[in-house]
Amino acid sequence: MITKQLIEQIEGEATVHFTMNGNTVDFATVAFPHFRGMERILQGKNALDALVITPRVCGICGHAHLMASVRALESAYVHMSQDIQLSTKAQMIREFTLLMEIVQNHYKWIYLTLIPELGKLMPLSNMSTPLKGAFAASLASKALASFSGQWPHSSYMLPGGVTCDPTHMERIKAQSYLRELIAFFENETLGIDLETFLSFESCKEIRSLSSDISRIEQSLLSLGMHEKGFAYDRFVVFGNHGFSVPSKMKQTRSYSVKSKYVSIKDSYSPQEKTFAKNALYKNDYYETGPLARAMTNSVPIIRNIHRRFKDSAYSRVVARIFEIASLLQHALELLKLMELSETSLTMPEPIHTLTAEGIGIVEAPRGVLIHKVSIEEGLIRNYEIITPTQWNIGSDTKESLTPVQLAMQGVTQEEALFIFRTFDVCSVCTTH
Amino acid sequence: MAQTMKEQRKDAIIAVALELFSQRGFYATTIPDIAAKVGMSVGNFYNYFTSKEVLAKELVVYISEYLGKHIRDINESEADTEEKIYKIVSMYFNMAHERPEMIEYFLRVYLSNREIFLDDCEGMICVSAFVTEMMIFFDDGVSSGDLYDQDFFSAFGLFMGYLGGMVFLFGEKVLPDPLENYKESISKNIYNALKIR
Amino acid sequence: MPLKSDKKLTLLWLQGLTCNGNSHSFLNLSYLADVLLACDILYHPSLPSLQTLETISTCKLECDVLIFEGTFDPLMQRNNVMVGKLLRHYAQKARHIIAVGSCASFGGMFKASAPQRNSGLVFNETAHEGPLLQYQEKVINLSGCPIHPEWLGYTLSMILQEKKILVDSLHRPIELYSYLAHHGCTRNEYFEWKVDSKKFGEKEGCLYYEQGCRAPMTHASCNKILWNDVSSKTRSGTPCFGCTEPDFPRANFFRTKTNMSIPDEVPVGISKRSYLTVAGIAKTFHIKRLEEKLIDYKTAD
Repeated sequence: MITKQLIEQIEGEATVHFTMNGNTVDFATVAFPHFRGMERILQGKNALDALVITPRVCGICGHAHLMASVRALESAYVHMSQDIQLSTKAQMIREFTLLMEIVQNHYKWIYLTLIPELGKLMPLSNMSTPLKGAFAASLASKALASFSGQWPHSSYMLPGGVTCDPTHMERIKAQSYLRELIAFFENETLGIDLETFLSFESCKEIRSLSSDISRIEQSLLSLGMHEKGFAYDRFVVFGNHGFSVPSKMKQTRSYSVKSKYVSIKDSYSPQEKTFAKNALYKNDYYETGPLARAMTNSVPIIRNIHRRFKDSAYSRVVARIFEIASLLQHALELLKLMELSETSLTMPEPIHTLTAEGIGIVEAPRGVLIHKVSIEEGLIRNYEIITPTQWNIGSDTKESLTPVQLAMQGVTQEEALFIFRTFDVCSVCTTH
Repeated sequence: MAQTMKEQRKDAIIAVALELFSQRGFYATTIPDIAAKVGMSVGNFYNYFTSKEVLAKELVVYISEYLGKHIRDINESEADTEEKIYKIVSMYFNMAHERPEMIEYFLRVYLSNREIFLDDCEGMICVSAFVTEMMIFFDDGVSSGDLYDQDFFSAFGLFMGYLGGMVFLFGEKVLPDPLENYKESISKNIYNALKIR
Repeated sequence: MPLKSDKKLTLLWLQGLTCNGNSHSFLNLSYLADVLLACDILYHPSLPSLQTLETISTCKLECDVLIFEGTFDPLMQRNNVMVGKLLRHYAQKARHIIAVGSCASFGGMFKASAPQRNSGLVFNETAHEGPLLQYQEKVINLSGCPIHPEWLGYTLSMILQEKKILVDSLHRPIELYSYLAHHGCTRNEYFEWKVDSKKFGEKEGCLYYEQGCRAPMTHASCNKILWNDVSSKTRSGTPCFGCTEPDFPRANFFRTKTNMSIPDEVPVGISKRSYLTVAGIAKTFHIKRLEEKLIDYKTAD
């Protein structure tokens, strides 16, 4: 018998169809019912218009889409042997705003998704309100908007740089929001200072705290999430940033990656129409996102957790929370090192001179985000978007399970629904 | 009533000044020449214009407003862009016939003695009425799909430079035929040069 | 499920075709806690809610305020129920209907997903063709892509305080949308003296002449109240894209449409003749201060 579950509040909805084997999941397929046709909307448009349209793919990670778009356009310029000069300042500002978007995403995920979902599985005392998530996210957005003008839906990156030309006033203001955010993270989530937390090498040290993170960690353990939710133990990271290393990983061995091996496959969803497509690397499924980034970055505490608990639901959750800490520290560094006398933007040749293909790859909050564009005399001939959720939450046959399908196998339906959400699912991005 | 009288006197000064400046040039014309021809005392002249330079600038504004008013009527007419070009050309050539001193003044004083107009009359200030209407004409032409979208001054120069050149040739008595005979072909040339490709 | 207290405003947030940008923008509201405290959230796409989408889609409940985000697509379903059915059911009893974002107001970005059939709640761009036409008296449009959180904060607070919200002909609150995005722009002096921005990425110059800025033609209070309390598009060198207007999204966002160098559109309510007269004269003057960099880091030390 197949039972259907509606999953809500994942930036839209999805449905999971479970085939049970007694009390445990034997097989599950996933369907995403909503579709906007972003790629088609982009066709025929001025290529620069992609910088306004693609952020509207997603209200929570539009900035990652903006950056993937601008990188795709810049790569098209380079393919046409036109130089793109990107100042260190412009690169740092772009990276800073991307970091802030990831942080707001993770914060909302902890307080608007993870804690309420844990609460469905076990009684949680002392766990605080969703407003914590919204408040921290709004602080991150203020720091972000100091450079990007606004969040959500900024379009401040253009080929050759950024449109903002900040003074130290804006930089210092962003610093103060960032410090406030760090203090909030230390007081409300960690229960210890950021630096000490970042020096942790084992989950036992997290357990020694008395805070939201230690309570989350305890709950995961008592639910046995360290022994459940395993995917393939294969990870992929593609985005080139100060906080990530492009590589793929099988268990603990790293290999280099090339974007030409990424492919797309139709979803298997016999019960219901879905608009999602699965993303693969060399015809295999890989997990992407914070756990993948931490593994390829050799973050000691995550490596240690992985040694014991592999790619369990527990590891996935702790990696995402830990990533907030490391990104906040990285963001502080960027604001300190930014040299504002550098140029913000060097204008490349006019867009109508451009006939080329380009690819832009970014680490979005949930993992690898790829934009591919084909441009003819400045107009978009074709645009393709591959989002992180397409890597993690594909739906395929029983012989060829995707990471989430594998992770949901062999646990109860209740647990499977929780495990589903440990990937941090974005419905609107998936089908776009 | 007194006001009307004063206006009339002022118009008379402008008419005389246009005539004298365009015939003799700016420097060779004196205020006593103008006052005498209007039939007023030199002292009274200064009640109307405080200097010869101020008068010279006022004349540019006067001509610009005259042209602007006529082109505005054409802009606001129902005519299509090609007809409007013909109307502007006709209006300009008619003016060269009926009020040759205006065009003479424009070409021989305003464009030749730029030093007089450096202060307070630079750029668009004195010719705003005329240039604004030409902008409206070009803007309408492009947005209605008749004219090719290009730089304003490239189009403006082509249009007005051409007309100015013809009137100059006419003034120098080089043209074999009356100016009237050229309206049709010149309008067509301008339209062909500016129309959408 | 917590019991609904009697006096609170019940609020239901439904979605059409959307990116969730309005939901996330709303979460940035500085007084979000106060608003939430005064309301019972039947359903919101990311905030804890009293109901689930499954119970909402049975169409057996009622709400005081219906909020709709996203383009209305007559063929779209939520939990296998037609969105049109959900809308009509909840609109009937709702005291107020708020279209959040330009999609719900006019069709917006995702009208392009199915241009023949998609629209906003009351308007299809400016035509009265939406599915809630019959309830238009209670529909408030908060256009913008996305909405500014304060715009929804204002609207909900006005409802909570039982104050009348005056709206314009497009059903937008005039206290929010009678301003232009141009008002309060830090580049206003460059606009006044017609000094254009030579390139992107600079503090100096106005973005209206070359870079596509639509702030003088766009009704929005962005530069009055600022985004995320800190900035705005134009303050960060990005042109205004006119996202609060019924014709959003237009095309060629980063270039001003001109006819022989003359802007195709001039500020709202100003005739082109008046604009060109003033602009031509202003452009005549070369003002050194406005043509120089505001700050020259390279020579400052």
